[in-house]
Amino acid sequence: MEDLTSHPQDVRGVDFAANDLSDDALLRRFADGDAGAARVLTDRLGPRSFSVALRMLGNRAEAEDVTQDAMMRLWQMAPDWVPGTAKVSTWLYRVTLNLCVDIRRKKRPDRLSDVPEPEDGKASVVDRLQDEARKDALQLALSELPERQRQAVVLRHIEELPNPEIAGVMGISVEAVESLTARGKRSLAAILADRRDELGYDNG
Amino acid sequence: MTMADEDLKLDHLFADARRDRLTLADDLVVRIQTDAEAIRLERLAPTARPKRGAWTRLFETIGGWQGFGGLVAASAAGVWIGFAAPTFLPDPANLLTAQDTSYLVADLGFDTSFLENTE
Repeated sequence: MEDLTSHPQDVRGVDFAANDLSDDALLRRFADGDAGAARVLTDRLGPRSFSVALRMLGNRAEAEDVTQDAMMRLWQMAPDWVPGTAKVSTWLYRVTLNLCVDIRRKKRPDRLSDVPEPEDGKASVVDRLQDEARKDALQLALSELPERQRQAVVLRHIEELPNPEIAGVMGISVEAVESLTARGKRSLAAILADRRDELGYDNG
Repeated sequence: MTMADEDLKLDHLFADARRDRLTLADDLVVRIQTDAEAIRLERLAPTARPKRGAWTRLFETIGGWQGFGGLVAASAAGVWIGFAAPTFLPDPANLLTAQDTSYLVADLGFDTSFLENTE
């Protein structure tokens, strides 16, 4: 997994010393009144929450609302956080997934037009269209998975979390995570096999 | 196409999804930071206020300035009565320094004749 903490240039206007601190330490500093700690935590954890929310919801505006809400809960619980008991990111993933479940219960189906667009401007138009088709296809296939399989697959294969951490996020055993990801991946492969022509696998 | 091939293709799709790791839109960062700042200031506010000491709590217990004013008036009246008592009240100074205490004992209703015999 890409180590987001190793890119201080990603952090907007924050001192470099704060970037070296753990999430635990930053949360403590925020609880003690340090505004800079909130900026580092936003840059470090916000994209993870947003990425998962977008994959779970398939809608950018809703994913942004979920991320804002999840981060709000992070700020609120900061004084009560006990360092060392769990990872802050695990807690945030769990809150994010719960918020996504709440939204998905209220609204169906997904709006695929809001799938993230590729940022690579150098690709040819054909490549870009094919790339978008693939991403839409992945998002579409993900949206057809049962909720828990979808959560496990997103956390394992897109966020690249280790199984024990996924187990912590989802509140289940590691064996259950393995089972969910295996079944989820099989289902995805079956869904995608049905759409092989649309994806242009064999052309690229 | 075999299942293993499908798995391989799927792995490519996951890799594509990971490659496009998302960054937050600037306006979302502003929204999140605004929330954080509001909570931070809210949390700082109670400690910025002066602590309520024992005298403050006593002051509030007796009813604030209104209660305190009444207390001052009553105390002043007490002091004034002590120095310049109205004629219908016994002089408190005499009560404190009374020389003859026999009538006080007599008022209790005891037989005090034994006191007189000893003299």
